[in-house]
Amino acid sequence: MLELDAVTKRFGGLTAVREVSLRAGPGEIVGIIGPNGAGKTTLFNVISGFFAPDEGRVLLDGRDVSRMPAHEICALGLCRTFQIVKPFGNLSVEDNVMIGALTRLTSVSAAREEARRVVALCRLEPFAASAARSLPIGLRKRLEVARALATRPRLLLLDEVMAGLNATELGEMITLIRSLHGEGVGLIIIEHIMAAMMRLAQRIVVLHHGEKIAEGTPESIASDRRVVDAYLGEEFVLADA
Amino acid sequence: MRRHALAVGFFGAAALTPLVIHDGFFLDSLVLILMWGAVSGAWNVAGGYAGQVSLGHSAFFGIGAYSAALMATRLHASPWLGMLAGAVVATAAGLVIGYLSNRLKGPYFALATIAFSQVLLIVASRWRAFTAGSEGVPVPFRPGFWTLGFASKVSWVYLVLCLALAIYLVQVYLERSRIGYQLAGVREDEDAAQALGIPSRRLKVRAIAASAALTSVCGTLWAQYVGFVDPFYVFSVDLSVRFALNAIIGGVGTAMGPFVGSLLITSLETTLRAVFSDIRGGLVGIYLIIYGCLLIVVVRLIPQGLVGWFGQRIRAARRYARA
Amino acid sequence: MTALPQLLISTVLLGGIYALIAVGLTLIFGIMRVVNFAHGEFLMLGMYLAFWSFTWWGVDPYFILVVAVPLFFAIGLGVYALVMRGVIHASHNVQIFTTVGLSTALQNVALVLWTGDFRFVRPWESSVVVRILGAAFNLSQVIAFAVALLFTLALFAFMKWTHAGRVMRATAQDGEAATLMGINTDRVYRLAFAIGIACVGVAGVLVSPLYSVYPTAGLQFVLLAYVVVVLGGLGDMVGALLGALIVAGVEVIGSYVFGSAWKEVIYFVLFIAVLVFRPAGLFGQRGAEALGV
Repeated sequence: MLELDAVTKRFGGLTAVREVSLRAGPGEIVGIIGPNGAGKTTLFNVISGFFAPDEGRVLLDGRDVSRMPAHEICALGLCRTFQIVKPFGNLSVEDNVMIGALTRLTSVSAAREEARRVVALCRLEPFAASAARSLPIGLRKRLEVARALATRPRLLLLDEVMAGLNATELGEMITLIRSLHGEGVGLIIIEHIMAAMMRLAQRIVVLHHGEKIAEGTPESIASDRRVVDAYLGEEFVLADA
Repeated sequence: MRRHALAVGFFGAAALTPLVIHDGFFLDSLVLILMWGAVSGAWNVAGGYAGQVSLGHSAFFGIGAYSAALMATRLHASPWLGMLAGAVVATAAGLVIGYLSNRLKGPYFALATIAFSQVLLIVASRWRAFTAGSEGVPVPFRPGFWTLGFASKVSWVYLVLCLALAIYLVQVYLERSRIGYQLAGVREDEDAAQALGIPSRRLKVRAIAASAALTSVCGTLWAQYVGFVDPFYVFSVDLSVRFALNAIIGGVGTAMGPFVGSLLITSLETTLRAVFSDIRGGLVGIYLIIYGCLLIVVVRLIPQGLVGWFGQRIRAARRYARA
Repeated sequence: MTALPQLLISTVLLGGIYALIAVGLTLIFGIMRVVNFAHGEFLMLGMYLAFWSFTWWGVDPYFILVVAVPLFFAIGLGVYALVMRGVIHASHNVQIFTTVGLSTALQNVALVLWTGDFRFVRPWESSVVVRILGAAFNLSQVIAFAVALLFTLALFAFMKWTHAGRVMRATAQDGEAATLMGINTDRVYRLAFAIGIACVGVAGVLVSPLYSVYPTAGLQFVLLAYVVVVLGGLGDMVGALLGALIVAGVEVIGSYVFGSAWKEVIYFVLFIAVLVFRPAGLFGQRGAEALGV
C-alpha cells in the first residue's frame, strides 16, 4: 500500500533522511524507532506531504505522491498525527473530530454523527462538549488520534502518541490502537516506549542519523547489535508479551 | 430561532425604527450603523472566520466606491453596474491579497495589506486622467432605483438593511456549513487542518476574495449615500482599522459581532460629532483616541468581543440553572 | 552620469537616517518578536518635539536631542510597562490590535492637540548648502546623517562590548534559553524597547527639517522601517545598516527615474516584494519562521 523508495530529505547541509526505503502493506502495524534526531518525524512529514523528498519517491497504492500536498494525500486515505499535538483549541472535542469527518462527508449532520461515533470509540464522550484547549495532555493525544480517525484513513501515521501518558492512559491507547488494527486500518507508529512498541508492532524499522539501520520483527530488532548500540542499550531486555 | 434572537431583535428594531422615528439625524445614524456593521461583517469573513486579519480592507471599499462614482460620471451607467464592476475588480484584488496570505503570517500579512491599500490610495490620488486625482469624485444624484438615487433616508435605511441582512446570513452560513467548519480548522491550526485533508490555501484565498467582493459592494452603496468619493478617506488606514474595530469589539468570528460593535462605535462617533461639532473641529479626533484605547483594552480583556462574552455568560447561566 | 554623485551621496545621507530607525526597530523586533504598528508614531512625536521646541523657544532641533534621548527612553519604558509587556507572549491578534490601537490613539492625540495642519521646521541649517563632490546638499541632511551615524555606532558598541548588550543578543537568539540561563527577559525586553523608541524619537527630531510634520507622518516611515528590518534580517544590526542603504538607494533612484510623487508607491511595492520573495532577509537569517516561511 505504502512504499518508500530511497527517500532522501535535506535541510541545507543536514541530511535528515538518507535513502530510506520501506514498505507497509494494508492492515500492517509497522513501528519506527530510533534516537532523537534520527529523522523519524521528518520521514512522516515527507510521507504525509508536508515536505517533498529531495530524492526518491513515495508511492501510495502504486501512485507517486512525492510532490502531492498534504491535504490531497489525506483524501487518498493516509492521515497523520503530530508529535506535538495540534488540537483546534477553541473548538469543542466533537467539533474537532467533526472537522476530520468532513473530509469524507459533505453533509454537516452526517459528519456530526460520524464524529459522535468516533468520539465514543475513543472513549471521549464525557469531554465531547469541552473546548479542546481545556484537555490535559493524555486526552489531547486521544483527540489527535480520534480526529485523524474520523477521516476514515486506510493508513494512519501515529507520531509518539504515547509520550506523556500515565500507565492507565497508556493501556487505553494500546487498546485503541489494537482495535484500529482489528478494523483493518494500517498503522505506522513512531514510539519511544519500547514496551508498547514491542507488543504492538508486527515489524519494526530502526532509524539512526537518517538512515535505516535495521528492519525486522521485534525479537530480531531487540537482539540486533547495531540497534542495541545505537538506541536500545545493553540493559534492554525483551519481556515476554 | 433562539440562536437568532439577537439578530431578530437588532434587524427587527432597525426595520421598525423608520416607522416610528422621522428625525433625519437619527435615521442617518441608523443608516451608518447598518452600513458600517455590514462592512465589518464583510471584513469578518476574512478576519474572523478565516483568521486572516487584514488592515487594508479599505482597498476593496475604495474600489467599490470608485467604481460607482466613475461608472456614473464617466460612462453615465447605472451604479448597479458599477457595483458589479467594483465587485469583480475587488475580487481580483482579493485574490492577490489571498496569495499574500499564503506567504505571510499574522502581523506581516497585516502590514502587507496596509501597503497594498496605500498603493491604491496613491494611484487614485495621482491618476488625474482616470480618477480626477486628489480632488475626489462627486457622485451625481439622479433620483430613481436604477441610479441608486434616493432622497429619502427611509429608503436608504431599508436598502442598507437588506445589505446588512445579506452579510449577516453569509456569516451564519460560514458558521454552519462544511466550508465554515473547515475554515475554523484552518484558522485554529493550519498544519493540522491540512493533515486532515482541508485545502487550506485555497480556502483562505476564497474567503478573502469573497470578503473583498462584499466589502466592495458596501463601498458602492456608501458612495451613493454620501455622494462624494475622496481617495484620502476611502483608501485610508483609519477606515481599514475601523472595519476591524467593530468586529473586534462586537465579537470577531460571530455573525452579530460586527453589528453590535458598529452599534456601539458608530453611535459613539455620531454622538461625539454632534456634541463637539460646535467646539473646535479637532476635538472630533477624540473619539478615535477612545477607539484606540478601546481596541487595546478589549483585545486583551475580552478577546471574544461583547457578543462572544455575553454568549458565554448565558451558556454558563444555563448550565448553572440546569444543575 | 553627472547625477551619479548626487544620487550616491543622497543614498548615503538618507540611508544613515533609515539605519537609525531600523537599528532600533530590529532591536525591538529581533528581541521581542512583536511587530509594533505604532513605531512610526514615536517618530512623529519626535518630529513634533522638534517643531514645538523650535517654534516656542527657538531651540535648534540638534540641541533638543539632549532632551529627546532621555525623554523617549522614558516614554519607551512607560509604553512597555503599560502596553507592550502583555503583548509579547500573546496571540498575533492581540499583538496586532494592541499596537494598532496604540497607533490610532497616538495619531489622534497629535491631531486633537496640534491639528492636522502640515508643519515645518526650518532651522538656519536648512538654508545652508553644502557641496560634496560637486553635488549640493542641505546642511540639515548632512547633520542628520552624521548624528544618526553616531547614534548607530554607539548602539553597535553597546551591543557588542557591554554586558547588557551581550545579554540582549543572547535573548534575541533564544528567549527561552535565556530565561533558563537566569536572564531576566522582562528587563531585557524593557531595555530593548526603550532603546528602540529612543532611537526612533531621535530620528524624528533629526528628520524634522527634512519632511513635513503632521499627525500621520509616521505611517510611511513605519512601513519603510519594516522593509529595512526584514531585508537585513530580524535582529541583525549590520543587516539593518545594509538594508537601510539599499532601501535608500531604491528610493533615491526611484525618485530620480519616476519622480518623487511615486516614491511612496515604490517602497510599498518594495515592501510587498521583499516579504514575498526574500522574507528571510538578504542573508537568509533566522526569524524567517516568525514570518511563517
